Amino acid sequence: MPPQLDDRRPTITPQLARRVALLGGIAFVLFAALFFRLWFLQVLSGDDYVSQAAQNRVRKIRIEAPRGDVVDRNDRTLIKTRQAAVVQILPSELPQAERTLAAQYGSQVSASERRRLAAGDRLDRLDRERRRSGRRITRIQRRERHRLLRASRKAQRVAIPALPADPSVKRLYRRLGRVLNVSPRTIHKRVVQQVAQTPYAAVTVKTDIGLAAFNYLKERQERFPGVEPEIQYLRDYPYKAIGAHLFGTLREISPRELKRKRYRGISQGERIGAGGIEQSYDRYLRGQDGYYRQVVDALGQPCDDPVRCAVRRVKPQQGQQLKLTLDLRLQRAGQAALAGAVPAGAGGGFVAMDPRNGDILGMGSYPSFDANLFAKPISQERYDRLNSDAEGKPLLDRAIAGVYPTGSTFKPITAVAALQSGLVTPSTLVDDPGSFKLGPQTFKNAGDAVNGSIDIVKALEVSSDVFFYKLGYRMYSQKGQVLQTWARRLGLGRKTGVDLPGEFAGLVPDRHWRDGAFNRYEKCRKRRGLGYQSQAALFACGGVDRPYSGGDNVQLAVGQGDLQATPLQMATAYAAVANGGRVVEPHLGAEVEDGQGRLLQRLRFPTRRKVDLSASTRATILRGLRLAASAPDGTSADVFKGVPLEVYGKTGTAERGNGDADQSWYVAYVPNKSRPIVVAVTVEKGGFGAEAAAPAACRILTNWFDLPGSDCSAGSSTTN
Amino acid sequence: MSVHTPIKPASEPPAPLVPRGLRLRIDPLLTLAAVGLLVCSVYALNGATGDDVPGHPNYYVYRQIAFGGVGLVLMYGVSRLDYSRLRELKYPLYGFMIFSIVVVWLLGTASKGSKRWIETPLFNLQPSELGKVLLVVSLAGFLVDRLRRPGRDTTVRLVLLALLPAMLVMAEPDLGSALVYLAAVVALLFVAGVPWRHFALLGALGGVAIALTLVALPAAGVDVLKPYQTDRLTSFLHPSDVAGKEGYQQQQSKIAIGSGEKTGRGVAKATQTGLDFLPEHHTDFIYAVVGETFGFAGAALILSLYALLIWRGLHILTQAKNLFGALLAGGLTLTLFFQIFVNVGMTVGIMPITGIPAPLLSYGGSSMLVTFLALGLLQSVHAQARETALTKSRAPVL
Repeated sequence: MPPQLDDRRPTITPQLARRVALLGGIAFVLFAALFFRLWFLQVLSGDDYVSQAAQNRVRKIRIEAPRGDVVDRNDRTLIKTRQAAVVQILPSELPQAERTLAAQYGSQVSASERRRLAAGDRLDRLDRERRRSGRRITRIQRRERHRLLRASRKAQRVAIPALPADPSVKRLYRRLGRVLNVSPRTIHKRVVQQVAQTPYAAVTVKTDIGLAAFNYLKERQERFPGVEPEIQYLRDYPYKAIGAHLFGTLREISPRELKRKRYRGISQGERIGAGGIEQSYDRYLRGQDGYYRQVVDALGQPCDDPVRCAVRRVKPQQGQQLKLTLDLRLQRAGQAALAGAVPAGAGGGFVAMDPRNGDILGMGSYPSFDANLFAKPISQERYDRLNSDAEGKPLLDRAIAGVYPTGSTFKPITAVAALQSGLVTPSTLVDDPGSFKLGPQTFKNAGDAVNGSIDIVKALEVSSDVFFYKLGYRMYSQKGQVLQTWARRLGLGRKTGVDLPGEFAGLVPDRHWRDGAFNRYEKCRKRRGLGYQSQAALFACGGVDRPYSGGDNVQLAVGQGDLQATPLQMATAYAAVANGGRVVEPHLGAEVEDGQGRLLQRLRFPTRRKVDLSASTRATILRGLRLAASAPDGTSADVFKGVPLEVYGKTGTAERGNGDADQSWYVAYVPNKSRPIVVAVTVEKGGFGAEAAAPAACRILTNWFDLPGSDCSAGSSTTN
Repeated sequence: MSVHTPIKPASEPPAPLVPRGLRLRIDPLLTLAAVGLLVCSVYALNGATGDDVPGHPNYYVYRQIAFGGVGLVLMYGVSRLDYSRLRELKYPLYGFMIFSIVVVWLLGTASKGSKRWIETPLFNLQPSELGKVLLVVSLAGFLVDRLRRPGRDTTVRLVLLALLPAMLVMAEPDLGSALVYLAAVVALLFVAGVPWRHFALLGALGGVAIALTLVALPAAGVDVLKPYQTDRLTSFLHPSDVAGKEGYQQQQSKIAIGSGEKTGRGVAKATQTGLDFLPEHHTDFIYAVVGETFGFAGAALILSLYALLIWRGLHILTQAKNLFGALLAGGLTLTLFFQIFVNVGMTVGIMPITGIPAPLLSYGGSSMLVTFLALGLLQSVHAQARETALTKSRAPVL
């Protein structure tokens, strides 16, 4: 047999054969691994990847929903929404040169701030060393101290860097500036400042540009790289300064807030209410943003192929309408009355409230500001001005955040405490010889009046200080701090719970507070080696330089001393006396409505607590308040002379110290079957209660009861 | 063949079934696999690259067809030569390889941060690709010479000979080619029968080197790899971290392949490819394009063609008429396999991203022609083996 061809194959060594077999085995195993991996990806988890691919290419683009309107109790629109064109620049699209400049500017600003803090630290160190050495200050030291003081007050301004040399930046700003009527330099400044603050957020160059400019930019986007003209919703306040303090504003949600439960469902870049009812009722006012799904490629460019790229759209839903308890007409009258009563350079606040349920009918602060300022981004300079002492801090809402001693308007509260604790009865007579001696101190009636033997009704009518000094002192010797307890029960020294952020609690001074503060004062003073009640100790360690004493209670009984209360707290306390002991929760929110004004939800504010106020106590105090506003020697009788109203009112004149003029107060209650009202007015530096606050309160009342012809002249009473 | 044999068989063998003159001089299955892959490549490119070059929807397709055609001719031409002669040319070949890589440094065109190409009027020549074949050929030559004196010495020399070009291309930087070179020398040593303990030693050394480049040296402040290379090599270890660019690419590739499901989404609906989510979809990630567009069916077909290619390569290895041929076949086949596994493994997310193209599938003239050159050499080994088997009754003595 001839050998077969196949048998004549070259033989390979056994070792090579083994190795080749091994290689084949390895290759087989690895190919099998790839096959199984493919099977796993494509067959077993294919669905998952299909949906991932879908997410990949679809971008959800938000369509902002307009916020709901806000109307007053008579459906007059206080806040509405309008569309405005906004021009933004995306920093990521700007040339590197400009972004570098912005980053440099940002680090310079923070370095300047660090220097300011360091100067403050050095100043402290210098003072401490000087005190420790006990030597007198030298001229050089004084000069150094002066320099540090100045440096620590205000951070050095960092100059905005000049426009970058990059011609593309200049060209863009010049072109854009021509369209927007803004100088390239200003655009550059806004970009640099905003990028330094929030590096990735879009920079708003100009808000509320005209339609022509908007369309021009929209049609020539390729000539304006990185510039995004957009339609945004802006708040519009048709009544400008009327109610400005109540509304708050809008701002973009912060990263921290995004994580909070309260803001669930809100995505980055959405605007939320900040301050005022915009914040309190944000969840009603905020609409449901819509979106459209746009198919995009890997670079985020919308795709134009109609097969791959169908677009889906979900319409935005406007927020709900909020109806307030506020009465626009009363609000306007209140602000006008307040503006007329406040002397130049001072401020004031007023509250008008329904004593039955806490509906706030009007609430204002002076000076006020045009709410529309905050509808658009506000410049830092303007904002600083609105917060400055020189302009009287227009942003401060003195109705809820202005805390003052209340003067004699506190007396009805002292009366409640005295009557309810059994210290006096309605018929108890107390001698008022015109002054009250306590140790070395002598407390006198205002105007050196001598009232003789009087009961509590008369004491309220003529606003006898001595009567209440005596009550205050007697309550000091009683256990349990009766006066403070009653003041707190009626709502002082704690927040009223009004539906606005930023409310102040004020202070009802008591033994615990003053002794604690005094202990801190002593500790601080001794640590620094300062003299007792010395000027230096006053600055370094605060003004509480003695423990609680009878004199403090005497002062509190007439609303002086350390007492701090807001007009809203006083209105709430008087409302509780007027309605028989229910401490209401003051509120602005009334109803949530849909866009057509149909009721969706009535907002409820149950009475916060009920205080034990006997009918006779209430009747006694009301009689005193009625006489004070009507009897011939009542403190505010001449203000309400020509006003046909059953006014129950109390004047207040609080001494402010520092040589400032007295703070004028007036709190009044007018019963009415359908529209009872409590009004509290305070006027800084207004003088006597009957002088400034009472006429303003009178004007508010005559407006509320529609008595246009009535004359609310300033009263002549000079009582506290 | 007309070689005169002194011993005459007692009787004439029966006439072969297929006349000798008509016998195929090439391995039909290997050719089938290569042509099949080429067709798949063109088909996939046709669907994926329509929008890539504005105004020329078929730019990549036509060029790939041209490369493939030239490649096929090249393969056939090389298969007609006797590869054994290359053994004598090992020094010039090795020298040419080093020279061409160095020339890239001088004349090369930078692309995406690395210098890999020399521009020619027709296409961009990538010497590191050509090096894959040249290194195998020259190292196989060196090995055959030294195999009479096997020992640690041989292993060390060979590894050093491979390390030189590997370091050079790594500096371009072309990490993928460097890894292929190292794989090639390991494959050659393995086929040559180097003792296991040498591999253990090499493995240990390699482990130390990896630890040094990825961990120790960067910690000491010396960066051997570019940061993106480190990212590539390590990102597949934590695939959920898609924040980085490398993790993103791999994630997109997996999404593309997974979303193809069983039968694929078709060209029009292949959004990962069409909307450019898939990076480098005509070169490194073309396998993911196939996976998305044609699904498991298409991806498995490609994988089967690759398996066929490797099987035939290993088969030719066993048939080689001499050790040089066996080494050549082994080195080339395993080099191809390494590239296939790393590329496909990269697209399915089980291997790091190294920038190795898929042989015969990815768009690219250098890669295509060099792969056909390797296949031509394999065909030559095959053809020579057939010739020898027909004319001799015994294996050549080495």
